[in-house]
Amino acid sequence: MSLQKLEDNYLITLVGPPNSGKTTLFNYLSGKNYKTVNYPGATVEYSVSKVQKKFNLNASILDSPGIVSLSSHSPDEQVSIDSLYSHPTYGIPNLVIVTVDSSQISRHLLLVKQLIQSKFNVIVALTMVDLLRRKGFVVSPLILSVELNCDVVPIDGRSGSGVDELIKAAEQNLQNNKLSGLINPVPFDSNINVEYLLGLYKEIEQIEYKAVSKIIDNGDQIDINNANKRLVLLNTELSRKINLPDQTSLKIDRIILHKIWGIVLFFLAMAMTFTSIFWLAHPVMNLVDEAFGFLSYEALNILGNNWYGNFIANGIISGTGAVMIFIPQIIILFLILGILEDTGYLARGAMLIDKPLSKIGLNGRSFVPMLSGFACAIPAILAARTIPNKRERFLTIFIIPLMSCSARIPVYALLLAYIFPPEKEWIAGITLAGIYILSIAGSVSVAGIVNKLKNKIITAEDNSSFILELPTYRLPKVSVVISNSYHSTKVYFKKAGPIILLLSGVIWFLTYFPDYSPKVDTNNLNREQKIELQSSTRLANSYAADFGKIIQPIMSPIGMDWRVGVALISSFAAREVFVSSLALIFKVTGDKSTLQTSMLREMHKATIGNTGKTLFTPATIAGLIVFFIFALQCMSTMAVSRKETGSWRIPLIQFFIFTFSAYCFAIIVVNGLRILGIN
Amino acid sequence: MRTAADLNFGETGIICGIEGSHPSSRRILEIGFTPGQEIELISKAVFNDPLAFSVRGTIIAIRKNEAACIKLI
Repeated sequence: MSLQKLEDNYLITLVGPPNSGKTTLFNYLSGKNYKTVNYPGATVEYSVSKVQKKFNLNASILDSPGIVSLSSHSPDEQVSIDSLYSHPTYGIPNLVIVTVDSSQISRHLLLVKQLIQSKFNVIVALTMVDLLRRKGFVVSPLILSVELNCDVVPIDGRSGSGVDELIKAAEQNLQNNKLSGLINPVPFDSNINVEYLLGLYKEIEQIEYKAVSKIIDNGDQIDINNANKRLVLLNTELSRKINLPDQTSLKIDRIILHKIWGIVLFFLAMAMTFTSIFWLAHPVMNLVDEAFGFLSYEALNILGNNWYGNFIANGIISGTGAVMIFIPQIIILFLILGILEDTGYLARGAMLIDKPLSKIGLNGRSFVPMLSGFACAIPAILAARTIPNKRERFLTIFIIPLMSCSARIPVYALLLAYIFPPEKEWIAGITLAGIYILSIAGSVSVAGIVNKLKNKIITAEDNSSFILELPTYRLPKVSVVISNSYHSTKVYFKKAGPIILLLSGVIWFLTYFPDYSPKVDTNNLNREQKIELQSSTRLANSYAADFGKIIQPIMSPIGMDWRVGVALISSFAAREVFVSSLALIFKVTGDKSTLQTSMLREMHKATIGNTGKTLFTPATIAGLIVFFIFALQCMSTMAVSRKETGSWRIPLIQFFIFTFSAYCFAIIVVNGLRILGIN
Repeated sequence: MRTAADLNFGETGIICGIEGSHPSSRRILEIGFTPGQEIELISKAVFNDPLAFSVRGTIIAIRKNEAACIKLI
């Protein structure tokens, strides 16, 4: 064990049932300096952080996925339990803090009891005391503490009240524990009989009767006498009231979970989410666009039209700028996902869609991973760990790359802006919604087909189950949602940024050299025309053009030439690179208009070879869009898919099937539209 | 015998036992559906599956075939 490594630096592990306020407490203690991201809908990896300096406790704190008991039913729960017994780098925790929702004491104490019986060093953090109070009850931490034989501290992870007391208790506990020696937890036998489980629940109910009491009329005092009396009387009427769910949530659920309205609202919510990505982001996108256009123009002006001026203006500024324009859309997507998650709607969505999904071999629990797939496939594939059934989990992972991830937004937005003029922007919005529907339809059909093939592609079989808690509705805390979206966007940026920058450099090099200073007849030409002629001559003789001629035969069937081919190949590093590559290949810096406008103008002028035929037509644009809907052009996705499924089998099948069918569909669409006379 | 799957919208019932042969039975117990608890049917999704029950101070959604192994008094 590497416990020595942490000698003065204690390890505190946070565990708790889902929705017990565990991650809120973790964020408060860590000040959000955690290492791994929290994926929408679920924590599926552990996050480690130092306890914030202001608490004055030299300890690391570990957040892990929510668990109901010490026996796991899904891989994310296994992560939690494994980290308790022997974390690969930190060993056994010196202290386990268990979050317990006070309004659900009779459920949440099960885990506490199991942890104490397994000889962990436990402190209980009692959350959501206000919720219990709203029901008209209070809980006595003192009685709980005596009954459980461990410290119990009431806290509010959102406001931070009680956290100081929790830290004090933890400090005291760690000091005492240092004297009493190492912790040696007893492995939990997950096959222990049902009688044991029922016995445990009986004990918990007894504790609940003793510790929870009704608030008396004038004030918030705890009525100990009444509590003691109840011990004898076992007033079932009272206990029933303690165990009523939040009444406001019940009222809201009457509409949200209504048999008909529920599903109507569900589809409305999804449609709103995806269309708002387009129109909400627009004003901000214009600003970013203008800023980059201006920067690129000024850079060329200041540095001059030579190789380094060109490299900075075209290679770096235009290349990265072409993608940065779409950051606002990505932020909005993360914001909406965050709001949906924070209110408690996602679990309801999962319930509403469970039956339809189970028909195609998926599970209601596939919903959150699939939805996060619209942001990015990588956290989405990790989030699939919450699906207990292996077959359903693998099938979910299989189709996630088909979800229209945020890296595709730049591509679609550019291509749609090409077909639809700015005054018809709403049509572009509707078309984008259509693309999302097509991507969902595609993934659903693939799931259905793979499911029909039974064991040909995914070889696993076990009990299919859907048991999910629907958490109390809460108003999302604005600061939490904003900081989470900021965090997710930063992660996106860090991941995509270097690739975009690097490939922009590479593409720039390939399109600029070897004939970097072509001799053109400059008579009778003004400066702008001269630059334009120079760059097109340079491009026609470039390395990229040489390479492009090799792949021309593959590009012809989808109505494209080698220039798009080069951009397409580069998009296999990351989809957004397609846009920056096009920007480099088609955009000629030299005027003052915005980046996108001048790029679109150049695209409009582009023709195939010497034929004079326009390169980008509605038919070829549609073909490109279809290609991007289906193709798996993301190496990181393949790597995560391999990690989560345990072999290269599934990622390779995904890659070849998705990319090959994308190419075929593109051929069909381009030539089909041409036959129909749309060109 | 009546099971949780037979409850009508808004109807309550008291659990008397869990059918042990179902693969999910242990999970159903762990999550809080234990004998003696009163549960209420809160909602049914489209196609009447899954069902949402109020139990031990929260709402839990569970498939119909799983609810069918929660036996009521």
